[in-house]
Amino acid sequence: MIENARSINIAASVILAIGIVYILGPLYLALTTASHSYQETLQNGLTWLPGDDLADNIRRLWVETRIPQQMANSLIVALGNAALTCVLSFLTAYALVWFRIRWASVVFALILATIMLPLDIRVITTYQVAANILSPVNALLDLTGLNSLISRFFGAPVQLELSILDTHIGLIVPLVAHGTGTFLFRQFFLTLPRDLFKAARMDGAGPLRFIWDILLPLSRTSVAALFVLTFLSGWTQYLWPLVGASTPEMQTAVVGLARLMPDNDGRMPDFPLMMAGAVIVSLIPLLMIALLQRFLVRGLVLTEK
Amino acid sequence: MNAIDPIHAEAQGIRLSGVTKSYDAKAVTIPPMDIEMRAGEFTVILGPSGCGKSTLLQMIAGLERVTGGTISIGGREVQDLEPKERGLAMVFQNYALYPHMTVAQNIGYSLRVAGIQRAERDARVKAVARMLGLADFLHRKPGQLSGGQRQRVAIGRAIIREPGVLLFDEPLSNLDAQLRQDMRLELAELHHRIGATSIFVTHDQVEAMTLADRILILNKGRVEQFDTPKTIYSRPASIFVAKFIGAPPMNILPVSGDGRALRFGNGKVFAASPLKGEFLLGIRPESIVLDRHGPIRAQLRHREDLGSHMILTAAFDLVDLRIALPFGSAEPQQSDLHLHFPRECLHLFDVEGRRIEADFHLEYAN
Repeated sequence: MIENARSINIAASVILAIGIVYILGPLYLALTTASHSYQETLQNGLTWLPGDDLADNIRRLWVETRIPQQMANSLIVALGNAALTCVLSFLTAYALVWFRIRWASVVFALILATIMLPLDIRVITTYQVAANILSPVNALLDLTGLNSLISRFFGAPVQLELSILDTHIGLIVPLVAHGTGTFLFRQFFLTLPRDLFKAARMDGAGPLRFIWDILLPLSRTSVAALFVLTFLSGWTQYLWPLVGASTPEMQTAVVGLARLMPDNDGRMPDFPLMMAGAVIVSLIPLLMIALLQRFLVRGLVLTEK
Repeated sequence: MNAIDPIHAEAQGIRLSGVTKSYDAKAVTIPPMDIEMRAGEFTVILGPSGCGKSTLLQMIAGLERVTGGTISIGGREVQDLEPKERGLAMVFQNYALYPHMTVAQNIGYSLRVAGIQRAERDARVKAVARMLGLADFLHRKPGQLSGGQRQRVAIGRAIIREPGVLLFDEPLSNLDAQLRQDMRLELAELHHRIGATSIFVTHDQVEAMTLADRILILNKGRVEQFDTPKTIYSRPASIFVAKFIGAPPMNILPVSGDGRALRFGNGKVFAASPLKGEFLLGIRPESIVLDRHGPIRAQLRHREDLGSHMILTAAFDLVDLRIALPFGSAEPQQSDLHLHFPRECLHLFDVEGRRIEADFHLEYAN
């Protein structure tokens, strides 16, 4: 039933308008602030009227800060996160849906559980593993008693060490292990006819050929949607890049933005520079959404044929 | 059209020896089965849902592994081969067309996988499409086709490789009644034209009776009967077959013999007979004759007029008798029916439900 009461319409419009002001207001303020010089801000604080120093602030950002390099880092992390997540989730869901696997439901439940354990919760253990990705092997050697055997013969136990902290790989990989994409693809695959796989087999196509010729073309929009979503989440990650990369050369743009805030107090922060940075750093995800938003919507609806 | 003709020579016989299937250690889906289908024969596998008929078909196709036994096609053992190495093709219940490919791509996909040149592929796709009346739809996607057209694409996809064996997994069950009838005819004609050995799985007895050279009736994975439609109708091997084929199903009446006469459950003598013990007597509704002098009396309870014939339901000896009267026959005026069971139309089964073939001497008392 569709309500057509005028008063409800008006009330809804007012609420929407307030919501829009709440969202766009700060963005507008960021834009106007970014267009004033530091001196002006020192005198007048944040202003609602646009100034004419935007280009100069962006130039300072480009020359005086590491934001450009950090944006390149962000791009690598976001793209890597998106690409690896898509590949991993696609293959996992493929195995879960199209093959008869023992314990498939248990495996799927475990994968789903990762959604309830985001990186923010397990950041300390993740840091420990990233600091030495071979530490699980060490633990295994200790646990099985192999190491005591080795130390008896060679004088010292084996301690393997390989750190991926402060590398792009180290920033990407912990983000990839995540069940959302697997869930998305699984739900999509379940809407496809079961006999599709059998038909392809009868036509002589093996499991890989089936992925390439049939499953991948059919899941185009789902892949695109997941790619956009994971790209955005990779771009806007804060906690893990903050912990996982300690040198400014490896930090991502979002972390770099926060670092523009001076550590020592007493000095007024350079708000125009920071706002210019915020505007520039937001441009990439905005562009991504603008270009691919139709995939976002269609891919998440799932039933698209 | 010419591209399809040579199959006649390549149709291959199929032999199953001791084939079994069980999905886990406890439950046996198909107990050991030995059957043989002749080259070029149209076999229909018929049975209620869950009887194992689809499993059987998929084992022949190579989509399911056999637990034991051997399957040979054209004298070659194939049970360990991949589907594509067995030289057969399959039509699926829900068509299973590739939704993102055009009709031409769907039909030609197996040739593409096999690495056949584009020019030859196109020529063969066109020939098949012409034969199936799909020539005008080659560039459409399956989503833009009607159910019957999709079914034809699925058939085209199966026959383009000119397989010696064609498998059909309930291909008509998604179509509406009218279309189903048309497609049935088309399938029969197609079979005549290309002559591949065909196995067709269905739960629809009309499809089975009209299409099959021989019908294989399965019940809980066991073969109940494997014979021509005529024999299956006229000499059902078991009560299961007798009740499964024919609509309405055969009437089954318990009788007992004391060596002199066969009696119904109510003690009334049916006929003089030397048979001793408990039996089940079967008679088809269309075989029962309304006869003013008939010895069997029943109470009319209900009548259903189907136009072409009328079905009467009458109470007799604690069971309901179904009687089918052809169009134009005299309708009974009162609810007291006098019936006659013609001797040559009677079937006798033991209490296990197996047919008793021995000539049973019956003599009606007058």
